[in-house]
Amino acid sequence: MRTLDWAVMGATLAAIVAYGIVRGRGSKNISGYFLADRSMRWYTVALSIMATQASAVTFTSAPGQAYADGMRFVQYYFGLPIAMVILSVTAVPIFHRLKVFTAYEYLEHRFDLKTRTLTSIIFLIQRGLGVGITIYAPSLVLSVVLGWSLTWTSVLIGGTVILYTTSGGVKSVNWTDMQQMLVIMGGMALAFVMTILLLPKDISFTDALTVAGGMGRLNVIDFSFDPNNRYTLFSGIIGGMFVALAYFGTDQSQVQRYLTGRSVTQSRLGLLFNGIAKVPMQFLILLLGVMVFVFYQFVTPPIFFNPVERERVAAGPSAGAYAALEGQYGTASEEKSMAIRAYLQERRAGTESSLAAARKTLEEKEAAAQAIRAKAVGIIRTTDPSADPSDTNYIFLTFVLSYLPAGLVGLVFACIFAASMSSSSGELSALASCTIVDIYKRHIRPAASDRHYLFVSRGAMALWGVYAIAFAQFASRLGSLIEAVNIIGSLFYGTMLGIFLLAFYLKFVRGTAVFCAAFVGEAVVLYCFLFTGISWLWYNVVGCLAAVASAALFEALLRRGRGEGGPSPRPTGS
Amino acid sequence: MTEQQKPAPAPEEEPPPILGTWPRLYGAVLGILALLIVLFYLFGRAFR
Repeated sequence: MRTLDWAVMGATLAAIVAYGIVRGRGSKNISGYFLADRSMRWYTVALSIMATQASAVTFTSAPGQAYADGMRFVQYYFGLPIAMVILSVTAVPIFHRLKVFTAYEYLEHRFDLKTRTLTSIIFLIQRGLGVGITIYAPSLVLSVVLGWSLTWTSVLIGGTVILYTTSGGVKSVNWTDMQQMLVIMGGMALAFVMTILLLPKDISFTDALTVAGGMGRLNVIDFSFDPNNRYTLFSGIIGGMFVALAYFGTDQSQVQRYLTGRSVTQSRLGLLFNGIAKVPMQFLILLLGVMVFVFYQFVTPPIFFNPVERERVAAGPSAGAYAALEGQYGTASEEKSMAIRAYLQERRAGTESSLAAARKTLEEKEAAAQAIRAKAVGIIRTTDPSADPSDTNYIFLTFVLSYLPAGLVGLVFACIFAASMSSSSGELSALASCTIVDIYKRHIRPAASDRHYLFVSRGAMALWGVYAIAFAQFASRLGSLIEAVNIIGSLFYGTMLGIFLLAFYLKFVRGTAVFCAAFVGEAVVLYCFLFTGISWLWYNVVGCLAAVASAALFEALLRRGRGEGGPSPRPTGS
Repeated sequence: MTEQQKPAPAPEEEPPPILGTWPRLYGAVLGILALLIVLFYLFGRAFR
């Protein structure tokens, strides 16, 4: 990074934080602090929703994923617009009418206190683990790429977030989210244009797409129906819809975003805008990764993108063998570049048979380069058995640092920091609201002054922030547990969604049946996780259906036990 | 009822700023999704 990059990054982040602090002033009670007095317009709600969902990993990992695996990941988002419509029809009017602070508060209106408390505690556990990872994941990547210590990167991200979220609450979160999302969109669009301009002069954008398509990177739609295949059209629409329903309908870090809308209309428009914009945005981020892939077909890439692992091998006993492989990889890459140019030539003017021959040659050259890379990864794993064999998180940032012009590098890094800050600020605000509204105010101190609640809310926000930074310090020692922490989220979402669907649609089911069904839903999901190979995307479907079916069964059994036959009285708030 | 505010009366069904009714707007969102899927398919096929 050059001086101009530091200046751009520093000025961008400082402006965002200052803006957040200024816009967040004036909260006099927890309605202002946690709901911005329900005053936000749809565009603030929409951009805040998008910024909270888009973590830094979205912008570091997704282009790398497209580089390595193509664009099929975009299918994961196909269920999201459907979920936005369903939530606009069901959840938004109910939450607004009841004027709830948290999604779980609605469950007390609909069922009982124990169901509210159970779901709120599940959220606190799940999101409490997640917020540490939200800070840790980008901190690790940035520390490796920038050469900073993990402590500094996580303190920089977490510290700035604490600064504005604690002072201004959700107003600061939403307004900074909006700024952050605009910076991110602008920065990524510039990076996209620049990447295309960096392609060789004789390679047009259409040629680049032809190369990407020929090498299997434009695999956007997969019509196969295989439950073990993570990204297909059907898993994206069905599984993705359940994931999105659970995330946007039951996770307070998202529910809080649209609870700040000034009316049902403003909240609905925020969600629907997200439904329209998210899929194209994700498509373009993945296409950026594909363009980086094409760029590296004409410029020899590092044989392994993680610089720390490369340096470790260079300082170890296998340095000579690794250097030899790097040389072979360079030669193989040059031969592949020639094969690509020949393939393009045949696409333009060749016959079917000559094109097939050119494609076969290209496939052979690609396989040869990949075989050399696989040997290099083997050396890396031998040198450091704990090394992650995947380097996708480092591909995009390595490209940015190596080839983008001064100023734009700083802007892209500001995007990464901004994305991390926007996700973690939304999560901290949600954690604090559940801690205070669902637990402290409901169970510990039900009748205190507004001033007191505002004071403890700020304290809760700051404590969750400090906890997240501390968790990020120790996360590297958790090793493979980090993956387990990520899976924990998917283990709970299905059951949570089942509980909310019961609340919205099955009016005859009451609290005790739902409370018991939550445990059945979890047991079924855990069985799938421990004893089957089903992709985690389907856990949400399985957990949801198990919770709904068992709640209906429990309700029937409980009624029979009570000797009831007719319909139950209509519950309040439903 | 909990300690929070009492539920407000059902909010007036304010029409969306475009397309006149909410079902039409929902249909438009789903229509755009269908269109994107078709375009993505054609995009992938064109450069296969």
